[in-house]
Amino acid sequence: MERCGLYLGCNIPLKAPDIEQSMRKVFPALGIEIVDLDGFSCCPAWGTAPSFDIDTWLVVAGRNIAIAEMKGVDLMTGCNSCFGVLSEAKHMIEEHPEKKAMVQEKLAKINKTYEGKTKVYHIAHILYKEIGLEKIRKSMKYKLDGFKIAIQPGCHILWPTKVMEVTEKNPFYPTMLKELCEALGAEAPYYSRLEYCCGMGALRSTDQEKSFLLVKEKLLSMKEEIDPDMIVTTCSSCYLQLDGAQKILKERGEIDFTIPVLYYTQLLALCMGFDAKEVASISEIPREEIIEKIQSEERAQ
Amino acid sequence: MQVETVNLTQKDRKAVLAQMIEKGGGNLTKCIQCGACASVCPVAITGLPLYCKRLFRFLQTGHLEEILDDASSWACVACNRCTEICPRGVDPFHVVFAFRRIQAQELAIPASATTSLMNFYTTGHAVYGDASELRQKVGLDPVPPSTLKYPEALKELQTLLDESPMAELGLF
Repeated sequence: MERCGLYLGCNIPLKAPDIEQSMRKVFPALGIEIVDLDGFSCCPAWGTAPSFDIDTWLVVAGRNIAIAEMKGVDLMTGCNSCFGVLSEAKHMIEEHPEKKAMVQEKLAKINKTYEGKTKVYHIAHILYKEIGLEKIRKSMKYKLDGFKIAIQPGCHILWPTKVMEVTEKNPFYPTMLKELCEALGAEAPYYSRLEYCCGMGALRSTDQEKSFLLVKEKLLSMKEEIDPDMIVTTCSSCYLQLDGAQKILKERGEIDFTIPVLYYTQLLALCMGFDAKEVASISEIPREEIIEKIQSEERAQ
Repeated sequence: MQVETVNLTQKDRKAVLAQMIEKGGGNLTKCIQCGACASVCPVAITGLPLYCKRLFRFLQTGHLEEILDDASSWACVACNRCTEICPRGVDPFHVVFAFRRIQAQELAIPASATTSLMNFYTTGHAVYGDASELRQKVGLDPVPPSTLKYPEALKELQTLLDESPMAELGLF
């Protein structure tokens, strides 16, 4: 793969654009040109069209996939929700010929064509399968030897495996993100709530306190079982929850520690030597200290 | 000795099932209440009352009006652990969302969902906020290359939404 469409979604470009910038830095540096999907919309998020009408869900998702297809590229996204919504929609469209015909007919009215050639990937899949751990290892300026990471793959990259192009051997014990972190030189041990939901998304907007129960349990599991230097995730929703809710829990006195949170491509960009001001500068839990440790002279290769 | 079928309800089960099938949750009939879905469900773990397994029993026995206003279904994060683990091929996620669609039709919708829907229609992004300053701070164009940058693309999205059954609800 030489080029890939970058589907940004909502949270990454509008809440955490430093994550977007980290993607725009690391993929070209690793040999994959990023193609912008001009005019894309929200995937549509679970709480919008999917909660109201299946056909509208499929048409809006189909339009986003068609934008990539018309540019002749596959699509990758760094938001787990977008990945789930688009993968599920593509699966339904391809499994049911009458749905595919419906999507094609509705898109034709807005001058879009959908054939189904474009594949939907998560950015973690492209890093792991297309680029590969060896190339990632060779790209590094700063190695993470001695660091301990608590990984958070998030939900929609793991289930349901039947709608995805790339899957874990056992999604209840995922290893892809662990291997991606280990490739940087860090340790990424198991903790008992590793595959648990962080409580973001619909749970957070419907019942904030219930949502906090889940994120608190996860943070305590990380802290007590492996005491990590940082949390690393490949889901932008998990990122916002682990960073934002952690600050609230600390202020309330419900936890007595903080752990800095990084999105995987942010960590990778830092390891490759990119400027933290561009790739990792927006967070609730301060990251200056960990970034200084990562990009320190003694770690330079 | 032959045991006769026990009927647990006098409700109109067929009418409820017909609605569930129409909204994409027809596999409800395959559920035998084993509870595998609930064992991995974030909604169940947090203690919300109407998690997957329990919701399905209400629906199977024809109880719909009684649960129409319950917000538990709107807390479903669509994680699909249930879909992966269900031994009966129920696709519990699709059943929960089919119920949500029935709720939506009756306007039993939480305020957070109506706000997202309005954002989605007016900007193309369900999660929206002016990010131009943040984006410039990290060296990006102030506007992402989405419907926010291309008015004709937003018009395309709005055309699709205007022509959808969602428009009839009057939420955008």
